[in-house]
Amino acid sequence: MITKIKLSDKILLFTFFFSSLFIVFAKFVGGISSGRLLIFTCLAYNLIFIVSFFVNKNFIKRLEAITYKLEEMAAGGLSKKLKIKGKDEIAQLATAMNELMSRLQMGIAQDVSKSHELSQAKTDFVTIASHQLRTPLSIIKWYIDFLLNGDAGNVNSEQKKYLEEVYLSNERLIELVNALLDVSRIDLGTFSIEPEPCDLVLMADQAIQKHSAEISRKKIKFKRKYDRLPIMNLDPRLTRIVFENILSNAIKYTPESGMVELVIKKTDKNILIKISDSGYGIPKEQQPKIFTKLFRADNVRKIESVGTGLGLYIVKAVVEKSGGKIWFQSPSLELLLSDGQKESDIPIDKRNAGTTFFITIPLEGMKKKTGTKKLTSADYITDQRK
Amino acid sequence: MSDFKTILIAEDEGPMLRALVDKFEKSGFKVFPAQDGEEGLSKALKEKPDILMLDIIMPKINGLELIKKIRDDKWGEQVPIILLTNLSDNDSVAEAAKYGVYDFLVKTDWHLDDIVKLVKERLEII
Repeated sequence: MITKIKLSDKILLFTFFFSSLFIVFAKFVGGISSGRLLIFTCLAYNLIFIVSFFVNKNFIKRLEAITYKLEEMAAGGLSKKLKIKGKDEIAQLATAMNELMSRLQMGIAQDVSKSHELSQAKTDFVTIASHQLRTPLSIIKWYIDFLLNGDAGNVNSEQKKYLEEVYLSNERLIELVNALLDVSRIDLGTFSIEPEPCDLVLMADQAIQKHSAEISRKKIKFKRKYDRLPIMNLDPRLTRIVFENILSNAIKYTPESGMVELVIKKTDKNILIKISDSGYGIPKEQQPKIFTKLFRADNVRKIESVGTGLGLYIVKAVVEKSGGKIWFQSPSLELLLSDGQKESDIPIDKRNAGTTFFITIPLEGMKKKTGTKKLTSADYITDQRK
Repeated sequence: MSDFKTILIAEDEGPMLRALVDKFEKSGFKVFPAQDGEEGLSKALKEKPDILMLDIIMPKINGLELIKKIRDDKWGEQVPIILLTNLSDNDSVAEAAKYGVYDFLVKTDWHLDDIVKLVKERLEII
């Protein structure tokens, strides 16, 4: 392969050739003596060196401009084009760069419109899903209501049992549709956060109350420790979503006669909500995934088949978008240790047990966020009137 | 019986309308059913019910437009209206609130009994 001569070498060759020619010319045609010729040669080389220095400097400057532009392009700057001077190799390089930039710009513009189309399709899907799926689901719900209430005559206990199964499955579907809608609203960024003065402790108690049947059925020991809290600016709907999801997980994934504890603490800057359980825990290798969509840990999948795998994804988005933080710890043996006990006192098969979720809410309350939709879970818009 | 309370229900989904009509009739209401917004408007202006329950997405006139037209009428200025829908975007909620409609019920979240209870509360007959 023939290697082309580099530009700077060309300059050097050029100057060397002409200066040699000049010396030969001076010696033989001009008849100058050797001493003078030596001085003259030195002077000529100096001059040539200075000239080539400036020529080189100009080239380097232009190359630098191109390198700088390349770095800018790598960082996404595609708007400003390079100025083109002359027709040499550097000018050609700059022209090629400008062309590349235009093409990239066009490509990105196409990508943006494509992703806009995609998000529009997603929004359309959400609207269709919300209307089309919820309509038959509510029809099923209402007709089961009729049958269970005895509006169409008495039902015997077996029929009642079957109808209740149908009802529960239908409720699960409603929940799933609501969760899917929430996820789409989170992904599209269309959900709103509307803080208003709320009593956090009262809301926590209401959420626990909602699970009271399950708590007593599983004989779970439920402890609560609350600091005195001021009235805070919270979006009641979102707060409810957070409490209900985290509590329902803690209760669902704690075996019978286990323990669950809800602690609400006031710190300097935040309200810290801590929900601990003595349940099955989250396997170490799966912990990085627990906030991802549709994820359910292997150990609980075997124990409890019901669950969408969307709850924690929704909770994380809600907490973080409203200015708070969420994290967890598992195993969390606090609840298994009675006074003075150490971890080594716990039987080996229980050392992976327990999970604690930590959630913070800034003391100044949730950050307001405008959006076109509310999250659907717990969609009782009528409480605006109260 | 003259102390029948009257309700107009506008809902384009057949089985849903039948369920609501049945429930309200069994609960002692006189019901005027309507299968689209236009029928809802003409029946409302003619029968002047005590309360209205409207879907939003309906043929001919949608629920929000129907509210405006009812509020334009002298009789309809104050009549209580409940929206029973599966659409719950903030714009619709805000639009309904402009016309004094604050009960925005998402169908899948409500049992028929609770809907009747809410209607009775609004009519102050509990």
